Amino acid sequence: MDELELLKKDWKKQDANFPKLSYNEIYKMIHKKSSSIVKWIFIICIAELFFWSAINLFVPEKYLEIYEKFNLKTFLYITQGLHYFVILVFIYLFYKNYKSISVIDNTNLLMQKIIKTRKTVNYYVYYNITLYVLLSIVVNIIMFSNPETLIEALNPDNKAIDDDKFFNIMLIAQVIALFVVLGLLWGYYRIIYGILLKRLNRNFKELETLND
Amino acid sequence: MNKELEHKFISEFQEHQKIIHKVCRIYTNNQESHNDLFQEITIQLWKAYPKFRGDSKLSTWMYRIGLNTAITLYRKSKRTIKTQDFDTVLHRIKSTDYDNTEEEQLNLMYKAIHQLSDIDKGLIFLYLEDKNYREISETLGISEVNARVKMNRIKTRLKTILNP
Repeated sequence: MDELELLKKDWKKQDANFPKLSYNEIYKMIHKKSSSIVKWIFIICIAELFFWSAINLFVPEKYLEIYEKFNLKTFLYITQGLHYFVILVFIYLFYKNYKSISVIDNTNLLMQKIIKTRKTVNYYVYYNITLYVLLSIVVNIIMFSNPETLIEALNPDNKAIDDDKFFNIMLIAQVIALFVVLGLLWGYYRIIYGILLKRLNRNFKELETLND
Repeated sequence: MNKELEHKFISEFQEHQKIIHKVCRIYTNNQESHNDLFQEITIQLWKAYPKFRGDSKLSTWMYRIGLNTAITLYRKSKRTIKTQDFDTVLHRIKSTDYDNTEEEQLNLMYKAIHQLSDIDKGLIFLYLEDKNYREISETLGISEVNARVKMNRIKTRLKTILNP
């Protein structure tokens, strides 16, 4: 007999061997919590949306005083206003994509929607990083083109310091901080993708190659 | 969600629960993972049940959600204790129905299936359930032609494993 036919015959026989769950067992089961990746993605995404919008609130007052000296306060307030508007747009897009995920869709479509939801939040994170990098560049350029004000702002007691050394240290410290932050983010995404999305991405790729 | 709906769901689910056992049979190879996946599929079915309109058969709908959960939504539990694999303790009836060669062939066949990718497992599962290519393509979201091509490849692969 053909092996596959043999398998099919055997496959049909196993029906009787499966345990039959009782009404109560099923009742208990449907009241348990799901641990699906969609749920995890939702939790992580909400945490990220919150984290990046809250990070602004932790800028110490002292910094604002420094920015004021460079007449940057208005500029920063306008940027912040725009920033919150963009955050709202992202939250709306995330919610819309998340709501469209349906387990009744075909496998391909379901995967596409999950990936799209996750991507919305990725773009949100990219947007934030770009914004912070751009803002630091702009603020740095303005500060460094007014060295006297900068020294005055950062050294109010007027301690004796070497100006060149001071600027060098300040620049190097900022570059190091940037790389540390980017490194941490890279590590974080490696872990998140490694745990949650590796299997999904692999399966999606396989379906995609099939449809090519 | 109201009690009436819950009651209706559980009664209907009870009738068709073997579909879910079979999905678990293809995607897991020990009892604990089987139970874990079974639970997740049941939860997903229940969550989706209020949207079930009855315009398709409940069983068709269960196949789809079962496979979607196994392929996409399910996260393998980390706390899985290594229990004896199904390959040695099969749900199948080990009976006089098969001679030794057939028994061995089936063992090899199940082992080979467990080595397939998640998508391939889905295809072979629907094939074993006598689904036609239209249903297979609609469930997985690939074209009928591609489903056919892919299925032939899997069949050849399984045969090569059995007859090296």
